[in-house]
Amino acid sequence: MKGLLIISGLGILAMLAEIFKFKKLLLPIVLLGIIAAFALNFLEWQTRLDISYFDNMISFDKLAIAFSGIILLTAFFWFILANNYFDKSSSLVDHFALVLFALVGALMLTAFKNMTTLFLGIEIMSIPLYVLAASKKEDLKSNEAGFKYLIMGSFASGFLLFGIALIYGACGTFDIMKMRMFIEHNATQLPLFFYVGVVLILIALLFKVSAAPFHFWAPDVYEGSPTLITALMSTIVKTAAFAAIFRLFSIGFGSISEVWTSALALIIAASLIIANFSAAMQSNVKRMLAFSSISHAGFMLMVILANIRTNISLDAIIYYSLAYSIGSISAFGILYNVSRKGNEDISAFNGLSKNNPLIALCMTLAMFSLAGIPITAGFFAKYFVFTTLIGTPYKWLLILAIITSAVGAYYYFKIVIAMYFNKSEDDAPLIIENSNKFVIIISTFLILAIGIFPSFVSEIFKF
Amino acid sequence: MLGYTITQWLFGIISFLSIMFALMVVFTRNPINSVLYLVLTFFCIAAHYLLLNAQFLAVVHIAVYAGAIMVLFLFVIMLMNLNQDSEPQKTMASKLIAGIIGGLLLVVLVGALKGTEQIQLSQSGHSEIGLVKNLGRVLFHEYLFPFEIVSILLLSALVGAIMIGKKEIK
Repeated sequence: MKGLLIISGLGILAMLAEIFKFKKLLLPIVLLGIIAAFALNFLEWQTRLDISYFDNMISFDKLAIAFSGIILLTAFFWFILANNYFDKSSSLVDHFALVLFALVGALMLTAFKNMTTLFLGIEIMSIPLYVLAASKKEDLKSNEAGFKYLIMGSFASGFLLFGIALIYGACGTFDIMKMRMFIEHNATQLPLFFYVGVVLILIALLFKVSAAPFHFWAPDVYEGSPTLITALMSTIVKTAAFAAIFRLFSIGFGSISEVWTSALALIIAASLIIANFSAAMQSNVKRMLAFSSISHAGFMLMVILANIRTNISLDAIIYYSLAYSIGSISAFGILYNVSRKGNEDISAFNGLSKNNPLIALCMTLAMFSLAGIPITAGFFAKYFVFTTLIGTPYKWLLILAIITSAVGAYYYFKIVIAMYFNKSEDDAPLIIENSNKFVIIISTFLILAIGIFPSFVSEIFKF
Repeated sequence: MLGYTITQWLFGIISFLSIMFALMVVFTRNPINSVLYLVLTFFCIAAHYLLLNAQFLAVVHIAVYAGAIMVLFLFVIMLMNLNQDSEPQKTMASKLIAGIIGGLLLVVLVGALKGTEQIQLSQSGHSEIGLVKNLGRVLFHEYLFPFEIVSILLLSALVGAIMIGKKEIK
């Protein structure tokens, strides 16, 4: 909770930087604030209590704290990557404020206990992102991305509100714990429109994580937005939206899982197939990573599908979110530096192993992690997710997931091959400034560290 | 009158009007007419709020939606000179597909709401809940956190609008 308050305060502070002329100091202040929020977040873990605030509106239990930790860590990396990206634009402080506000929404989504906070969290996270997606004003593609995101996102919000209204009509409460009690007491005589409400909410939230039939916006928006904003969307937003789905469907609607699991299983299958086969056909790296993020959404949804309320599923989803966030931030950080000349195709990576061997190695490891190849974090992430599905009737999804992972390996390797075997046209060494190098190397180190010692992360819920 | 109370008659008439105006919003070709029908729809919804004894919500609804937002819509349409039937026509196939999908959603929703008459109310409604005094009490007690955090939402929308609208200084 204190972390949430600190980040909100930082957002407001950032807006004052222009007037009081401490624009140069803004980045260090924001980084220190994020560290402070992370530390306070960690202290709340130590108290071992599920404290809820404001009449049970928001509650930071262990799950929320773990997700907030991942989000704050990614945000920390992101701000270092973005350190001089906004200097050129005249609205530096606005960018900072908007990203921090989006972060507030993301933190709320990890910890909501009430439908009102769920809705507000989604809106607070989305509205700054609509603007940020369109923030490259003279670029037509960026405008298109922002506009598409806004229109589609508003539709999803409409579905969410309709769903919440129907559920309120059935239960007479917005509180998720009370809702769960109501469901358990009246399991046999729930009105039909309650189930429709559940499905509408599921649609809205699946839109936010861009799972398969609701994914059409993702490639266009990811491609059109500035690369760093895409990095933000595919890490923080995705993690937060997953935290929201997990909390709502495992805790709130866990006892009526027969209503939504069969639909969810089909959605996962569609996400895996469509995303991986479309990604294999892309030549633009950002578009490819967008499709890859859709397929990762499919994997993460498997944990929610399994719907086992034990530490296994908590461990699995936390580990997957962490592995995916770090792998993506590393990949996007490198892509951002490689594509500075304006070429975002795979050919931009040609000959990187000669121009900058260290970065080529980091990119290789990031791709290995996203593909799920052993000793990187991605392998255990997939392994833990698969273990949750064993014992459920959805074992056929495992086979599908393994086949599509093989397709996935194909397009991740396209970049690796371009780096090591293709010759670049100009042999100018790629110079990356130290701050970006720092983030890329640290995140690569983390990919290896939690890949080799998975129990560091995968057993945190034992403590 | 046919076994219905006056409230039920009012509810029926207002519901009919709001649905009709909402359909007109979609079916009229001219954007200006659409906006005007939307204003009428909002007035009908405000009347529904009054029937539910939520005066405050009704007034706010008219002031904010029918007043502020719709005037903004009208300004945008006039400034961009959109008041012609220049809307590009969709192909027949896409119209058909959209119709089928929208119709399916309608069927699901109507099916879901069918048979709800028999359901017992889980909570007896508090008839004065919509009055300003009670609303304020709820807003500042149970819903204090959403009420305060909404300021972040409004602030970010404001900052975003300024950022998009601002001219880039070279």
